[in-house]
Amino acid sequence: MKQRIPLVCTLALAAALAPPAAAQEEVYLRVTSPGLTRVMIALPGFPSRPGTDQAAAASLVATLRKDLDETAAVGLVPEQNASLVVVDPGNPTLTRQRWRAVGAQFLLDGSLAGAGNQIVLEVRLWDLTSGEIAYSRRLQGSVGLAPTIAHTLANELVHLFTGRPGPFLSRFAFVSDRSGSKEIWVMRWDGTEAQQLTSHRSIALSPAWSPDGDWLAFTSFLRGNPQLFILRPTQGYLKPLSSLPGVNSSPSFSPDGKLIAFAAGDDGNTDIWVVPAEGGTPERLTHTIGISTQPAWSPSGRQIVFTSAVGGTPQLYVMDTEGTNIRRLTFEDKFADEAAWAPDGVRIAYTTLVEGLFQIAILDLRTNTRSVVAGPGNNESPCWSPDGTVLAFVSNRTGAQQIFMTDPAGRPRQITTEGNNVQPAWVAQVQ
Amino acid sequence: MSRPWTNKPLALALCACVAFAFSCAHRKAVVAPEPPSEASAEAKTAPQPPGEGTTVVRPEPRVAAAGHPESGVTTSELPADLEELNKAGYLKDAFFDTNKSELRPDAREALAADATWLKEHPTVKILIEGHCDEHNTAEYNLALGWRRTNAAKDYLVSLAVAADRIATISYGEERPFGTCHDESCWSQNRRVHFVITAR
Repeated sequence: MKQRIPLVCTLALAAALAPPAAAQEEVYLRVTSPGLTRVMIALPGFPSRPGTDQAAAASLVATLRKDLDETAAVGLVPEQNASLVVVDPGNPTLTRQRWRAVGAQFLLDGSLAGAGNQIVLEVRLWDLTSGEIAYSRRLQGSVGLAPTIAHTLANELVHLFTGRPGPFLSRFAFVSDRSGSKEIWVMRWDGTEAQQLTSHRSIALSPAWSPDGDWLAFTSFLRGNPQLFILRPTQGYLKPLSSLPGVNSSPSFSPDGKLIAFAAGDDGNTDIWVVPAEGGTPERLTHTIGISTQPAWSPSGRQIVFTSAVGGTPQLYVMDTEGTNIRRLTFEDKFADEAAWAPDGVRIAYTTLVEGLFQIAILDLRTNTRSVVAGPGNNESPCWSPDGTVLAFVSNRTGAQQIFMTDPAGRPRQITTEGNNVQPAWVAQVQ
Repeated sequence: MSRPWTNKPLALALCACVAFAFSCAHRKAVVAPEPPSEASAEAKTAPQPPGEGTTVVRPEPRVAAAGHPESGVTTSELPADLEELNKAGYLKDAFFDTNKSELRPDAREALAADATWLKEHPTVKILIEGHCDEHNTAEYNLALGWRRTNAAKDYLVSLAVAADRIATISYGEERPFGTCHDESCWSQNRRVHFVITAR
């Protein structure tokens, strides 16, 4: 294992979270398939130097433990096993052996310090096989941001092992009627801190994030017919995007954030159109006989998957971004809609119909196989996590429509509880 | 939440309109009894041509279907208030099969009657709303509702209603008329709904 230069970096976390440094880190171990063995990390705890805010320290460690437990890529050595390890400061090789004996592959050690209302965390991640430091960091912020510091570190560890963004600062945009009308809301990935973004008292639908989380496009009836608008969640700034006669709906950002594909019907039929995200003249991409809607860009930015009823029933089709080379993707479904392209570019999740109920299906483009993730009730609107290991979806299994998420073991977990909540869109971080 | 245009059941409108229809019907006088004659004892099978003093009975006027008052009501006699006007139910909605935007025969009938009424009231402007049941996804239904409202508008235009009198909008499945989860509500939701926007 080649020697890695430790990365020492101070992150100043103020009220507005600064974006993480775009470092070109080597991915240490690539965990690409869910279900692959989790990388086990020992986290014995961080001693605090005098002057550290104890409540903030406790909150930071607890948040970090909870986050690392949540992910599919890494796992924490259980505390009862960790407590068996007797550390021998004079014999690091022996200590490493003892950690490995309780199942750890890596050790995260660190310490906390405080000054004024600031809390500082210094950590090092040891590779227990080679004895070398794989990663080190110094993070600092005000004591109120202790959870955010933990989330930032957890995200970095997930990224280190998967090459993909961690979920811990990620958010959902979604549509909720809990205020009395369908509005756009935002919440953290675990359902906490739900906030209402629009109060138009009309009908809002289909939110879509720009890739770096600074814009939300959505559909609203507030000016009469369904039109597209774009909103800056951190500033509440709203501007119109497309107001073709008829329907303007289902926006989807290209991976470079420059274009938005959407469905528009002007002459009575609905087709796929595209408009610059900064505003401009919409251009028509498809000229199908029959409804075409729900476009979604591939992660490479070279293709668009969409739903079309040109063959008689709604099915998935894929085309180049110029609108050429249209090919049908689904042949075994009576109905296929709401395609969501996974970050790996290989899988497409979508809504299908099984015995009269909506269910989530996943199409693997490489093997051309299809699997249905069946559950009670109607299950629809699949949405991939930013790292592609988890699916969020909408289910009415509890009566009202609620957003669910599958945990790393594939078990569904309910995230929303109030009102009806539909059409989730997931972003790694809001800018 | 309140809708911009009210949508109440047509039951009350039906009663009002039927009563209105009958009150406008013209009925002729009853046939006067013929004076008895010696020949009447024999059954006379051949009909006699009408002679002087016979009142010819004409066919009764057709009973107007729900929501369609007798022709002859001028625009100035329509309620001035748009809400009242829409509640009176002069324009019939048209209904669709699941997943379809083609006009069924009963839909054509309703739209043909609407076209007639609209031509008799040439200043009236309308909005046709396209609606769907909860089959298919929300986004797909926005598009399906759009097809339905355009199918209705195109048909009215083909019957010589001026296109600039007709506005169109799709609500997809967002504004259902019935919220139960079976065909009794679904069939009610698969429709185009007419709203008078100017008289």
